[in-house]
Amino acid sequence: MSIVVVGISHKTAPVEIRERLAFAESRLPEALQALADKQTASEAVIVSTCNRVEIIAAMPNSQNSENPASRLHEFLCGFHNCEATVLEKHSYNLTDAAAIHHIFRVTSSLDSMVVGEPQITGQVKEAFQLAQQTGSVGHTLTRLMNRAFAVAKRVRNETGIGSSAVSISYVAVELARKVFEDLNGTTVMLVGAGEMAELAAKHLLNCGANNILIANRTYENAVKLAEELNGEAVRFEDFERRLADVEIVICSTGSPNYLILPAQIKRALASRHNRPMMLVDISVPRNIDPAINDLDNVFLFDVDDLESIAAANLAERQREAVRAEAIIAEETERFAAVLAEGDVNAVIGAFRQQAESVAFAELERSRKRLGDLTEDQEAALRVMLNAIVNKFTQPVIKQLRESDDGHSSYLAAWRGFYHRHEDKE
Amino acid sequence: MAILLVSALTLYLGGVLYSFYVFATKARRPDKELPMIVLLGFVVHTAAILVNWYQVGHFPIVNPREVSAFIGWAIVAYFLLISRRYQARALPVFLLPLVYLLLLASMVLPETSRELPLLLQGEITTNPLTKIIFPVHVTLVIFSYAAFVVTFVSGVMYLIQEHELKAKHFGAAFQRLPALNTCDEIGYRSLTIGFVLLTLGVVTGIFWNNQRDGRYWHNDPKEVMALVTWLVYLFIMHYRLTAGWRGRRVAWLSIAGFVIVILTWLGARALGGYHVFG
Repeated sequence: MSIVVVGISHKTAPVEIRERLAFAESRLPEALQALADKQTASEAVIVSTCNRVEIIAAMPNSQNSENPASRLHEFLCGFHNCEATVLEKHSYNLTDAAAIHHIFRVTSSLDSMVVGEPQITGQVKEAFQLAQQTGSVGHTLTRLMNRAFAVAKRVRNETGIGSSAVSISYVAVELARKVFEDLNGTTVMLVGAGEMAELAAKHLLNCGANNILIANRTYENAVKLAEELNGEAVRFEDFERRLADVEIVICSTGSPNYLILPAQIKRALASRHNRPMMLVDISVPRNIDPAINDLDNVFLFDVDDLESIAAANLAERQREAVRAEAIIAEETERFAAVLAEGDVNAVIGAFRQQAESVAFAELERSRKRLGDLTEDQEAALRVMLNAIVNKFTQPVIKQLRESDDGHSSYLAAWRGFYHRHEDKE
Repeated sequence: MAILLVSALTLYLGGVLYSFYVFATKARRPDKELPMIVLLGFVVHTAAILVNWYQVGHFPIVNPREVSAFIGWAIVAYFLLISRRYQARALPVFLLPLVYLLLLASMVLPETSRELPLLLQGEITTNPLTKIIFPVHVTLVIFSYAAFVVTFVSGVMYLIQEHELKAKHFGAAFQRLPALNTCDEIGYRSLTIGFVLLTLGVVTGIFWNNQRDGRYWHNDPKEVMALVTWLVYLFIMHYRLTAGWRGRRVAWLSIAGFVIVILTWLGARALGGYHVFG
C-alpha cells in the first residue's frame, strides 16, 4: 500500500483557486465514496479548509508506471469541473515518506499560515472522523492518521510552538494570566461590542472567566450579545457604576475621545479595595486615558502593546518550529519503516493463508474417498498438510523478507497479485 | 558532621543549578525533580543539625555558624511546605542560592565557641524551664525570618513583574515570573505566617525575661529591633486589611521590613546587649 497526497494550500495557490477546489461539507461524503471506490484509491481522507484542500489516499502499489497521483488529479478535476492545467500548476503530489512527512507537518500546524495555530489539528481530526463515518478509510489510513494526531500532540508538548498567543484576542488572555494567574473568579466587562472585543471575551470565558457584562451605546446590541455569551447587558450610562465589579475591561467603541478617565478608575479601585484591574483598549482612536497606566494596581494595554506581544510570540514560535521539524523528521522515518514492514507481513500472511486454504480444501474434498478416519489419522494428515504448506511457502517467504527494502519489484509483483485477488472478492 | 554538611551543600548546589535550568528553558515540563533534590538536601541537612546537637549536648544555635545553618534549614523547610501549593518556578531561583550561601557561611565563618554562653549555662542550672524555652523562642523567631525571606522574595518578584507590565517589556522576566496576584498572595500569606511566629517568639522572649529576673523588657538592642520589625509588619497588615493596601506598596514595605529583619539579626549583634549569640 502506498500513501499519496495531492493538494493545494495557501502556499501554492491563490484563494480563487482554493475556492474552486474546496469541497462543500455537504458533498464530502459523496466525494469520499467516489474516491474510495477501489478504482481510484483504496482509502481516502479529504481535508478541505479555507487554507488548503488535500486528498490523502492509500493506493495499491501500481504494477505499471502510472503515476498514482494522476488518478487523484483526474478525480479532483472531474469533481470540480476544473482544467487539468490549472490543478497541475498549483498542486503538489507527494508519495510515501514525503506524503507522511507532509501529513505530519500539516496536522502539527507547521504548514499553517500562522505556525502553531491549533485549529488545523482539529480540522484534520474532523476530516478523518467524517471519512470513518463514510467508510472510506481502512487499516492503513487509520494507522497513519492516528499517528499524525499523536505526533501533533508530541510536538505541542515537547516544543513551545503553541505555548504563546499570537492573535490579539489571545494575547489579552495571556496578559490577564500574568496579572490574575487564574481567570476563575474574574468578571469581564465589554465597553462597546466590537468583533475583536467579542472574540477576546469568548477566549477569556473559555479560559475560566466567570461573568461578563456588556455595555453598549445601542442597548439592544448589548442585550443580543449578552444572550449569546450568557452575560449581562448594562446600559451605557451605567458602565462607570459597574467598573468596581469587574477585573477586566475591554474597550472598543468608535468614540473619538476618552471614555474611561483616571478619576473613574480611582473611584472604582477605592470601592474594590485596590484589587487589581486590567484594562484593554482595542479602539483606535483610543478610548481609555493612557494616564491610567500610572495608577497602582491597574494595568492598561492598547492595541500596539497587544500587537508587539503577538509579534514577539510569533518569532518565538518560529524558533520552536525548528525543533518541531526535527521531531517530525524522526517520526516520519519511523512510520515509513513500520508501514513498509506491515506491507511485507500482509503479503506473507495472504500467501500463507492461500496455500493453507488450498491444502485443507483438498482434504475436505477427499473425505468421502478416505472413509472414516481415526483421531490419530486425522491429526497425522493435518500435520502432513501443514508440513507441505510450510516447505512449499518457505523459500518464497524468505525471498519476500529479503526483498523488503520498500522498492523491490519482487515484493511489488506479489503485492499486485494479492490486490487483484482482493479486488475479485 | 562535616561530611553531612558538605553533602547537603552539594545537593543544594544541584538544586540551584537545576532551578536555573528549569527557569531558563521555557518548554513546560513537569517539575517534579527539583522538590526531590531539595528534599534530599533537606534530609541530609537535618541529619547534620541533629548530629551536631548530639555532639554539643545542647540546642545547637549558639555561634554564627550554627545560626546560619539553622536559618538556611528553616528556609528550605518553609519552601518545601509552600512548593506543594505554588508552582512558582521562579521562587526556588531566588531562595536556593540564598540557602546555599547560608550553608556555605556556616562552614567558612570563623569557628567560635560551641559551648553555651556562661549566662545560659548558669540559668539552666537554676531554672530548668530555660532548657525548653530557649529552643522554642529561637526556633519561632528563626522560622519567622524564613517566612519573611519568602515575603521579601515575593515582593522583589512582584516589583519586577509589575515593572515589566507597566513598561510593556514583555521579555524574559515577564515570561518566567509568576503572575502578580500569585506574587502578592505568596508574599502576604508568608507575611501573616511570619508575623504570627514572630509574635509568639517575642511573647516567649518576654515570658522568659520575666521568669529570669521579673522584668519583661530590658531595652536590649535586639529587643528593640525586634519590636520595630514587629510594628512594621503589623503596620502592613493593618493597612492591607483596612485600606486595601496591596501590590506595589506592600511589596516595597515588605522589602523595607526585611531590611529591618536583617538589621535585627546582624546589627543588634554589633550593638551588644545580652542577645550575644545569633
